[in-house]
Amino acid sequence: MRGDTGQGIGDEAELVRKLAAGDRATFEAIYRKHNAAMVRFATGIVKSRATAEEVTQDAWVSVLKNIGGFEGRSSLAGWMFTIVLNKARTRAGRDGRSVSFDGAGEDDNLAAAFDGRGRWKDMPELWEEITAERIIAGRSVLQHVNAAIETLPPAQRSVLVLRGQQGLEAAEVCAMLGITEGNMRVLLHRARLAVRGALDGLA
Amino acid sequence: MLSCKEVAQRASAMIDGELGAWDTLQMRMHMAMCKGCERFIGQMRITRDLTEAVDEAEELHDVDDLRISAILSQLHEGKQQGG
Repeated sequence: MRGDTGQGIGDEAELVRKLAAGDRATFEAIYRKHNAAMVRFATGIVKSRATAEEVTQDAWVSVLKNIGGFEGRSSLAGWMFTIVLNKARTRAGRDGRSVSFDGAGEDDNLAAAFDGRGRWKDMPELWEEITAERIIAGRSVLQHVNAAIETLPPAQRSVLVLRGQQGLEAAEVCAMLGITEGNMRVLLHRARLAVRGALDGLA
Repeated sequence: MLSCKEVAQRASAMIDGELGAWDTLQMRMHMAMCKGCERFIGQMRITRDLTEAVDEAEELHDVDDLRISAILSQLHEGKQQGG
């Protein structure tokens, strides 16, 4: 996992100071690092990409307005994603949707992969050809991965984005989504199994 | 001895380095003898790496420039309205 938010754009306290001072280059760097992930995260909650983009845009305005009040009790990324979550929840609520992240009813796709003694029914393939650079059916492997993530149910998608992509601390992700660490691990695993299933179809 | 199903269930924990020493040993013993599980764990590593790579590969487009400007201008408006 990728770890700290400040990676490549300097120390977090310095980053916060520059954001508060209205430094456009710093804002662009942080926008570049997080915006697409925020939209991906919000889309799982509000269910339309256009709405998710609006919510994320609104969240960025809040981030910049309130950055002076950021006290460093969580990571900067954790704080920003919490703002996105709150905005998305409010919007979902207004649209009559409610979202929980316990993953109830979200299964994994390996249920039928084993025989009665827990052995593989079909031997997994050796993925020699699956690389980030490869083009399959006119799209790069990374585009196929993105498409698979778009179809994940909300709880799996949220954990994959926050923990598996943005590298937030486990405790932070759990507090944000109101789930246990065990639950978070199961959701991350299921999300990866779903993406693996999509890639296996390309192999 | 773990079954293939049990190995598969622990795959993410293993590749994320979250398994204890005993569980890791059990996994290694199974994988040393089971080509299917060895391949599966390899697939899960590739899946994890590609999932991270997607996030890193994203580029800014022209529309993002417009959005950044829109965000900054909303901020200035807010400040003016607020006094």
